[in-house]
Amino acid sequence: MNRSGATSYQGQARGFLLPSLALVLLVFYLPVLYTFYLSFTKYNGLGTPEFVGLENFASMFEDSAFLDAVRNTAIWVVGTLVLPVGLGLLVAVLAYGFRGSGWLRLPFLVPYALSGVAVGVIWSFMLGSGGALTQALQFLNLPGTELRWLQDSPLNTIVMVIAASWQGVGVNALLFTVGLQSIPKEPLEAARIDGATGLRLFSHITWPLLRPSTTVVVGLSIVNGLKTFDIVQAMTQGGPARSSETLALTMYRDTFVNSDYGLGSAVAIFLSIVTVGASIIYLRRQLSLSSSSLGGGK
Amino acid sequence: MTPSRTGIIIRVTVLSLLGALWLVPVYLLLANAGKTVQNYSGSTLWRPGSLGDLWDNLSHVATGTDIPRALVNTAIYSMVAPAIAVVLGATVGFAVMVLKLRHGFLWFFVIYCGSVFPLQMLVIPLFDSYSRLGLYDSLTGMVLIYSIVCLPFSAFVMRNFFAGIAESVFEAAVVDGAKTVRIFTRIYLPMSSSALAVVFILQATWVWNDLLLGLILTQSDTTRPVMPVLTGLQSTEGGGASYTVVLAAAILVSLPTALLFLVSQRYFAKGLALGQY
Repeated sequence: MNRSGATSYQGQARGFLLPSLALVLLVFYLPVLYTFYLSFTKYNGLGTPEFVGLENFASMFEDSAFLDAVRNTAIWVVGTLVLPVGLGLLVAVLAYGFRGSGWLRLPFLVPYALSGVAVGVIWSFMLGSGGALTQALQFLNLPGTELRWLQDSPLNTIVMVIAASWQGVGVNALLFTVGLQSIPKEPLEAARIDGATGLRLFSHITWPLLRPSTTVVVGLSIVNGLKTFDIVQAMTQGGPARSSETLALTMYRDTFVNSDYGLGSAVAIFLSIVTVGASIIYLRRQLSLSSSSLGGGK
Repeated sequence: MTPSRTGIIIRVTVLSLLGALWLVPVYLLLANAGKTVQNYSGSTLWRPGSLGDLWDNLSHVATGTDIPRALVNTAIYSMVAPAIAVVLGATVGFAVMVLKLRHGFLWFFVIYCGSVFPLQMLVIPLFDSYSRLGLYDSLTGMVLIYSIVCLPFSAFVMRNFFAGIAESVFEAAVVDGAKTVRIFTRIYLPMSSSALAVVFILQATWVWNDLLLGLILTQSDTTRPVMPVLTGLQSTEGGGASYTVVLAAAILVSLPTALLFLVSQRYFAKGLALGQY
């Protein structure tokens, strides 16, 4: 299509784009601005917000619930990076390259088909007082029967990270498998002929070539770790005494339970800044992918 | 890659052991959802349940809880909203890639970046304005918000998909005298059915599993989606033996998405590679 031919469709193109653009501006961008504004006000959901400057941010950084949430969210980010990504990579690499290996990946995908809430229900059942885990430890004469998995902090956050990892390994294994399949065969063969095997082959050849997948998996892991909400809400509601809250839960409780909209907005902004910062890591990769496919289409 | 025979044996062993460990919670879920209040106690926890008891628990879920109505609500949300989102996403892709909208990438970028903000940044104004506009606690309000939250990802996939379609398709249709809207609905939408399916399946699963929006924007049992109801069930029936009913409810609620996942694993892998859970 030549240039003048293309321009003649500008009116219609705008017509196609406009409804979506309007909805996105209305539902994403406008609320973001409004939340930003609310964070500088005192507001309980009724009446009118009253401007208080930086007061919310000041009290946020003195609030022990918020500081606990920062620590817990950090545990979530690090934990979901180490466990589901590491184990996902292990499963993908071990189950790659021989017949029938797909079946060996299947057990890890079963939990992925469950929702975060359902995973929370199962694990609260197992970790409750006198639950399956305590019983199993007793039966095997192992230490740890006295531990109160979901009551003591930071143990409750750590076991919830393990529960989330139980769910998340499968999907990461799947993503890494897709990545392994797209690695060209020649460098691997060449290295093999040169005598590289096992760990050496993996660390020098496979791992560097897997980098595109790793970027996506790590980026998504960090972002999803930061936004953790469902599984904690389902297992402890952030308790006891707010000790297992993540930032997402703190924001929810401050706003919708304690009706402190200004403080809730301040927490939301803190969470957004960290999340958007982390998103840039993999968003850059996403968008460079999409512009390269733009070139490929021509 | 062709690992050696011993290599394969080691791999299979490690994976089998790890896999068996992974299935333990699934076993506990199935075993204890299959025990009624009477048949459940701490000492029978590791023993298998019975189908009869599972049936009893499921009928308790069906008659004694809000789960059935919540399943209907969630079914509506997770079918209608992603359908709207894929069509809207396709209009964005069509405008930018096929009709070559000026500054198209910029507009697409604005739409896609909407998804960067965590939902926590949106929910206060949403709750506020939904209350004022009468959309709070309504089916329409929920379908609307789910559709729009799904839109950026949908636009992302559809833009990429349309980028791979030859321009001659559009030119030929124009030469044949077709109007633009007709070209979109009769040629481009049917042609992209596989991409539309990927987006639909991933987003339907997301909507099905959503907790936060349902928790904040609904209240009554005629609108509340299933995940908030399941968490609520846990706190009212939690503790003690009736927890087995909650386990049965967790199975029931997970069945639709689990089945969808099983029949469409291929699509999932494809969509996941695009970078969304």
